[in-house]
Amino acid sequence: MIDQTPIARKAFLSALIIVVLSFGNKLVAQNGKALFQENCARCHNLTKDMVGPKMEGIQDRVPDRELLKAWIKNSTDVIASGNEYFNDLFKRYNNTPMPPFTHFTDADLEALVDYITTPPPAPKVEGGGSAPVEEQDNSILYGILTLILAVVALIMLQVNSSLKKLSDDKEGIPAQEPIPFWRNKSYIALLTVILFIVGGYYVVKGAINMGRHHDYQPEQPIYYSHKVHAGTNQINCLYCHNGAYEGKQANIPSVNVCMNCHISITEYNGEKLYREDGTEVDGTAEIQKIFAAAGYDPQTKQYTGKGKEIEWVRIHNLPDHVYFNHSQHTKVGGVQCQTCHGDINNMHEVRQFSDLSMGWCVNCHRTTGVKFDGKDGNEFYSIYEKYHNEIKAGTRDSVTVSDIGGLDCQKCHY
Amino acid sequence: MKKLSIIAVWVMAAGLWSCSDVRRKQRATYMPDMFYSRALETYTPIDTLHKQGINYNRMPVPGTVKRGELFPFELGPDKPGEETNYQASKQIKNPLPPLNEAQMKEAERLYLVNCGICHGTALDGNGPLYKGGDGPYPVAPANLIGQEMYQNMPEGQMFYSVTYGKGQMGSYASQLSTTQRWMVIHYIKAQQAAGAKGAAKTQAGSQTTGTGQSGTTIDTTNKQ
Repeated sequence: MIDQTPIARKAFLSALIIVVLSFGNKLVAQNGKALFQENCARCHNLTKDMVGPKMEGIQDRVPDRELLKAWIKNSTDVIASGNEYFNDLFKRYNNTPMPPFTHFTDADLEALVDYITTPPPAPKVEGGGSAPVEEQDNSILYGILTLILAVVALIMLQVNSSLKKLSDDKEGIPAQEPIPFWRNKSYIALLTVILFIVGGYYVVKGAINMGRHHDYQPEQPIYYSHKVHAGTNQINCLYCHNGAYEGKQANIPSVNVCMNCHISITEYNGEKLYREDGTEVDGTAEIQKIFAAAGYDPQTKQYTGKGKEIEWVRIHNLPDHVYFNHSQHTKVGGVQCQTCHGDINNMHEVRQFSDLSMGWCVNCHRTTGVKFDGKDGNEFYSIYEKYHNEIKAGTRDSVTVSDIGGLDCQKCHY
Repeated sequence: MKKLSIIAVWVMAAGLWSCSDVRRKQRATYMPDMFYSRALETYTPIDTLHKQGINYNRMPVPGTVKRGELFPFELGPDKPGEETNYQASKQIKNPLPPLNEAQMKEAERLYLVNCGICHGTALDGNGPLYKGGDGPYPVAPANLIGQEMYQNMPEGQMFYSVTYGKGQMGSYASQLSTTQRWMVIHYIKAQQAAGAKGAAKTQAGSQTTGTGQSGTTIDTTNKQ
């Protein structure tokens, strides 16, 4: 009894301490996350090697907590002390030093080490991402219905003729030798007219559509989803196609532009992707194709110098005899990309939205208003106003071609 | 009768099957030699030129500068593991005079197109690709407006990073011309100055005054 009280008291105290500590730990661990995000996340990822090594499993690689803390505080000191592991690490990362964090207090370091040695929570398993619902295609249904109706009509005709024959027999009218329908002149005439109309329609339509490639949706060497990039991740069109604002061509980006992001983004974890034929796309494998093209080894994080051009298939193509300039439309005219290219940020695989026919161009040029002044106005047109006013005032008698840019080299030499 | 209906069913099935709306091949072209250029155009494959003994590699001639363009950056990229040029770049000043309102608007556009995707439209290092760690980008982009290191970073060093890349960031020399890169740095410095003043929201007027102040901040950092 005398002995038990202190034991009980001790037990209570230690329990209290454990509770307090564990609460404290929780608070500290959160603090550690904030510290990590603020100071370390620029180079370190919890589960992936980036500028610096990943944090996962660091407690096995550096079991000594104090050493780890010393390393975070000032890495060059640890290297100078000749620690084998850290010297190897330093060499493996091209002798890039980790900047010192001398302003960290001991509590900061504790929290940070706690945070990075706690295994990250298992990534949320995507909910299977049910296959996209097949769009109800009613045309088969209509086709079958039409067929049934046609069969019914035929049967009715047959029944009708049989009944007529029966009643004729009854009334004693001699039955005429029936003419088979393929020799019936009215049938033949009707068929010819129908064939002429239908055939003519398709011939004319086909001839007009020659050289127009709307809906053209070729398979590209890499499954690049515009929806994932421009839609979900909101990358501006001009990030990759900067030429569309600067000049004639919109630019198919070179692989170094892909590598700006994909040197870090090495796997695809978004919603499931499907090709047009319904097969599933392995996004991570497609990203590996960029590395192959760039000659980049994701294991060593080095460029091997053995790249290969990605031969993208060009979709939008104007005939050789048409001059088209992107910047004239985007920069000068203020036309949005989607006006001509359709809802690109919702297309996984790009499809030619417009037929790029002359009628299509002309229709837009007929209806699009020119912004003469105002906020987005085009200063160029003020020159016409100036000439107009000068003629009115009598200071100018005529406007020559050279006055409106007729001597510009590229009027003829383009 | 029976035969006819069977044929009709097959014809309709063939018709439906060929109506798949995915068009993987281009349509035929009327007079393809007038449609596809005989002359070399952009994206014409040029690998056959070499076999014909023609030397053409689509690269600008070394040592040439585009008309109207600034001289190229005088420092080359550092070798891996070295930092000499990165440190030396601190001394280089922005060769562009302070931007006027229209130029600042253009610089903002360039920033939003090329940088905003990671560094955020508010320069807070939280663009749509990072989204506070929820986006696909695995490392945190630099917070240009909150952190002292970037707030005080000399313009030349920023230019070095944009030109050759730094950390996980790649080179933007192929997307932005020399002039455009200096313009973007003007914009960032103006935003940083505006942010330091407490006027967080962007306004064309405050931007232009901010530019002048960014010049003074650089001077002080260089003296330090």
